[in-house]
Amino acid sequence: MNNTPRVLNRILIGLLGITLLAIGVLLVLLATVPAVGVWWHEWAGGILNFWLDLFERTQFPSRQGSWLWLVICFVLVVVLGLMVAWIAQQGKGRTSLLVAEEDPGDAPGNVSIGHGVAEQTLRAALADRPDLAGVTVAAYEIKGEPSLRIRVEPRQGVAPHALAAEVSSLVEALDAVIGKRTPVLIHIGSGARSRFGRAERVR
Amino acid sequence: MSQDTQNAGVGSGAHDADAVPGSAPLGSGAVGMDRILKRETHSSRAVVSVIAAALVMAVCAYALLETAVRATGQPPWLVDPQTAAERVVALPAGIGPLLLVVTGAVIAMVGLFFFLNAVLPGRRARHLLPDRRAAVVVDDEVIAAALARRARLAANVTQEQVMVVVSRNRVLVSVRPTSGVPLRPDAVLDAVRRELQDMGPWPMPEARIQVSTAGVVGA
Repeated sequence: MNNTPRVLNRILIGLLGITLLAIGVLLVLLATVPAVGVWWHEWAGGILNFWLDLFERTQFPSRQGSWLWLVICFVLVVVLGLMVAWIAQQGKGRTSLLVAEEDPGDAPGNVSIGHGVAEQTLRAALADRPDLAGVTVAAYEIKGEPSLRIRVEPRQGVAPHALAAEVSSLVEALDAVIGKRTPVLIHIGSGARSRFGRAERVR
Repeated sequence: MSQDTQNAGVGSGAHDADAVPGSAPLGSGAVGMDRILKRETHSSRAVVSVIAAALVMAVCAYALLETAVRATGQPPWLVDPQTAAERVVALPAGIGPLLLVVTGAVIAMVGLFFFLNAVLPGRRARHLLPDRRAAVVVDDEVIAAALARRARLAANVTQEQVMVVVSRNRVLVSVRPTSGVPLRPDAVLDAVRRELQDMGPWPMPEARIQVSTAGVVGA
């Protein structure tokens, strides 16, 4: 539900996978098929000579050494930065505001309601239920519109449709309080606490 | 549906009337809901992405170190980049063939892992439930636990004698009856089916029952 760049993830993981797969297959072929070795010497040797030539032609005017090394350093730093940026993209999209609208009334100004309102009210409403092991409420921004994600962890054996209906009626009550229908996702999941905790026997 | 999201909240008490979209399809209620449901039932590959990025970063960091050392004219830490390139070009020589095959196989396996992660649909073990207000996603484990409880009550056995496996299109209920106590599989299956009908998960799985021939003694 968050704004993880899924297509980008697929493309980049796929590129890395294909590259590693090709390298691995090449190594195996090099070790087993002699003809591949001949071709490899010719092809890779040509590329190496091209680079050595390039290093020859890019010497510093004053001292020994090629400035191409510095260029390679810079490229590697850029790649490192891009990878950090990619990691930073994962799982973002949390928002702190549930409602942010202009007040149509007499007083000038905006009305904004933080996601803490929804979180506190829902948690309080579900707090003393014996059939739940945990509740988490978070607000995410989907296409510029805030939406709520309610994660409920029932104990073993609780009927999910009954639970969903009850949480959903709480959400409707919340709608009435806030005065706006935000998109809501109810995720009934299982975690360590519901899995290893005692089963719900009496309801 | 997009309209009632935008109109709600403008009127003081009117939103209660249009807060009920009637017999709306699964996961209705807002513009981005389809997108949210799609994203909730499919893996985001965030963990694999972080692993991949970390791998690339490790390789790049080492290459950066050796390149920087070379650029400043210092002696190399492990291997000089140019020597490394020459060794790679001369490859079948300079390393045992068995080691080369094993290295290649390991790298290819890692590549295959990433590639399959990128290409496969990556469905999560979750089902959708109908609801008039919110989109509801349920882990298959929770469905299995609820069905197991229902089957246990119908079969009148203990918790350990029932196992339910829920997959996308199938529910398999395995019961080990108590020794000497007859068990009617049809009744248990009926109970499970009724519970499934009440729940109404999407996609709707088909229930089957498997009663083991060996009973449990003293349960």
